Amino acid sequence: MKGLLLFVLFGAVIRAQDANWTTYHGNPASHHHSSLTQITPANAANLELKWSFQAQSLEKFEVTPLIVDGVMYITEAPNTVIALDAATGREFWIYEHKNPDVTYPCCGKVNRGLAIHGNTLFMGTLDGKLLAIDAVTGQLRWQKMVVDFKQGYALTHAPLIIKDKVLIGTAGGELGIRGFLAAYNVADGKEIWKFKTIPEPGEPGNETWGGDSWKHGGGPIWLTGSYDPVLNLTYWGVGNPGPDWNAKVRPGDNLYTSSVIALDADSGKLKWHFQFTPHDEWDWDAVQTPVLVDRLFRGRMRPLMLWANRNGFFYVLDRKTGEFLQGTPFVKLDWATGLDDKGRPMRVPGKVPSPEGTVIFPGVQGGTNWFAPSYSPKTDLFYLNVWDDYSGIFFSWNQEFELGKWYSGGGIKAAVQSTRRDRLARRDPQSGYGAVRALNPSTGAKVWEYKMADVSDGGIVTTASNVLFSGNREGHFFALDATSGKLLWNVYLGGQTAASPVTYLVNGKQRVTIAVGHTLYTFGLRN
Amino acid sequence: MRRILLLLPLCLSPIAAQHSDADLKNPFQSAVDRTHGGAFFQSQCASCHGIDGKGGASGPNLASGTFRHASNDEGLFRLITKGVPGTSMPGFSMNGREIWQIVAYIRSLSANRSSANSTGNPQAGLQVFESKGCLNCHWLNGAGAARGLDLSAIGSRLNAADLQVALNDPSSEVAPEYWTWQATTKVGTTLRGQRLNEDTFSLQILDRAGRLRSVVKAELQSQSLDHASPMPSFRETLSDAQRVDLIAYLTTLQGAAR
Repeated sequence: MKGLLLFVLFGAVIRAQDANWTTYHGNPASHHHSSLTQITPANAANLELKWSFQAQSLEKFEVTPLIVDGVMYITEAPNTVIALDAATGREFWIYEHKNPDVTYPCCGKVNRGLAIHGNTLFMGTLDGKLLAIDAVTGQLRWQKMVVDFKQGYALTHAPLIIKDKVLIGTAGGELGIRGFLAAYNVADGKEIWKFKTIPEPGEPGNETWGGDSWKHGGGPIWLTGSYDPVLNLTYWGVGNPGPDWNAKVRPGDNLYTSSVIALDADSGKLKWHFQFTPHDEWDWDAVQTPVLVDRLFRGRMRPLMLWANRNGFFYVLDRKTGEFLQGTPFVKLDWATGLDDKGRPMRVPGKVPSPEGTVIFPGVQGGTNWFAPSYSPKTDLFYLNVWDDYSGIFFSWNQEFELGKWYSGGGIKAAVQSTRRDRLARRDPQSGYGAVRALNPSTGAKVWEYKMADVSDGGIVTTASNVLFSGNREGHFFALDATSGKLLWNVYLGGQTAASPVTYLVNGKQRVTIAVGHTLYTFGLRN
Repeated sequence: MRRILLLLPLCLSPIAAQHSDADLKNPFQSAVDRTHGGAFFQSQCASCHGIDGKGGASGPNLASGTFRHASNDEGLFRLITKGVPGTSMPGFSMNGREIWQIVAYIRSLSANRSSANSTGNPQAGLQVFESKGCLNCHWLNGAGAARGLDLSAIGSRLNAADLQVALNDPSSEVAPEYWTWQATTKVGTTLRGQRLNEDTFSLQILDRAGRLRSVVKAELQSQSLDHASPMPSFRETLSDAQRVDLIAYLTTLQGAAR
């Protein structure tokens, strides 16, 4: 009887979570998946616009909203927090954080979202602060100076809540920072632990940096990580080493850049790490979503981590130990012939940046990037947006470090723009394309793809009714059949998607929301 | 009265603009400043805009002499200081002298191109330009056709040697947006024109009749892109003197292209 009660209670919790969208990635395992089933492949063609919200900011709109019991919380770039009625889009309140005129984001004054704990929202700012904001009143509860932003740091990702802690990391990989991830008490902002992504002399891993190169080694964290409550481990992707493209000044593997780190959630101690791209010379940040899945793998039930990396390989790791299990290319790449039995790339000589420029596949944005993939327990498939048949010309040059200035040691030329949409006529159609792909986690093999003319910076959400939502640079937002990739519904919204969609219930009706261009759109089934 | 009030701001605005320009002239334009600016450019700008300033994976071409977000040196200074909202262009925290030196260097990228001018007669070149019907395809200062390159500022983008190559061998380097698109529909109609835009479902075309058309990809049997320039070669159809004069005229075109 007691067991039955627990089961019922657990079921109620699950249902409440599915009606809402309470974390950046949808759940601690970062599935970007919902158990909602009102929208189906059979009725998706009946989707219609329910409301839209016009942002006043002209900056890129990268937010993934949170929805809690009918209230939607968003950030408008760079650091404005807004509470909306999820049924109508009307504003309840606005909190605007003023940044100084000069801040140091590498690639646009963006913010990707919030975390919520009880009635408190958390946001990182471009000027290095962590803010706690009352979710009902929109008033500031407290703020904590996380880092001196003038040294090249910026906080752009949505924080992650674990128990009574709020975790946040720092961007700045192009400005010679030393990255870190830190945990603060949700009640008062007191620092609980800090993990530095570039080890100091005397710490394990510092030997992977030649000379003093560790001092400006980069290793930013600019995308929200994941959490396994059973193992009590939190997983985060670490970005590129600095300088990006002049790697000769930093001989060695350059730990823990371009790696995933597994930290004890209570202490911040490193449990294990896996470096996808040792001695990264291409700016292939390992800043993708750690997707945690329990499933059979080679005949054994295992706690897995699925990771489609910017370097073009799709990895399967054991997330308890960090053991490399499998790695397969998911896009065209020519910098490595494959991975060895430990998962280390077998590099192709000469495929590195050079003063005269070297053509390398994939280009600097990689085979995929920060935008969210999805895992559906219903189909047991891993879904992602890929940039395929896409290259860049990588240049390197000498550059001295100067505080607060760009420290990249090179540059890139590519037909496909890194962050902005462009008229497709301005480039050769042969210079690369985008696709939504479904991969089989057991083999890494492509199950289906939905090919697009242009690339996408949009994330993916899937549902238990086998509907997949995503958007692209062309301005389209669409629904696919998650079992086949067949297009179910498409709407042209006329702006670039650089965010991930979410789905939730409001007043008992399923909705799907996406930021496109400078507008937040919400769709639902026709009444 | 109303007419007078309307005219007054029109009269004042150019004066105000001239005054503003005079005040904000770049004070650091010497050869030494340009050299320093070039060094700053390489370390702070070239990652996105290319080592030659002609554009990279995320920054536009700065060597053309025309800028989308700035119309003068003051605008460039402000742009570098504040950044461009909605793009990956950040504001930079360098001191004023460094920023002016970068502006001087960026300006030199286009000045270098227009300095190598032809020795021909621009007036005679204008007659060649008109007699050959260049405006049947090209756009110039508000008139002509949009099938070809906008020539309004061609003199700031190409020097005499580049222009000679473009006239003699126009297919040697053709930007993708000037490639010729052609297709056959499923009902057998042949379509031909310039590809203006494209997405997963459709193409936007300027057809041979000068009409803007949108074409649904699902209705096409086949399509292809011809990388050759639709512009004929003038290697044989111009005398050497005519070519030199035409190039001299083209290098005088320094106006503000889009």
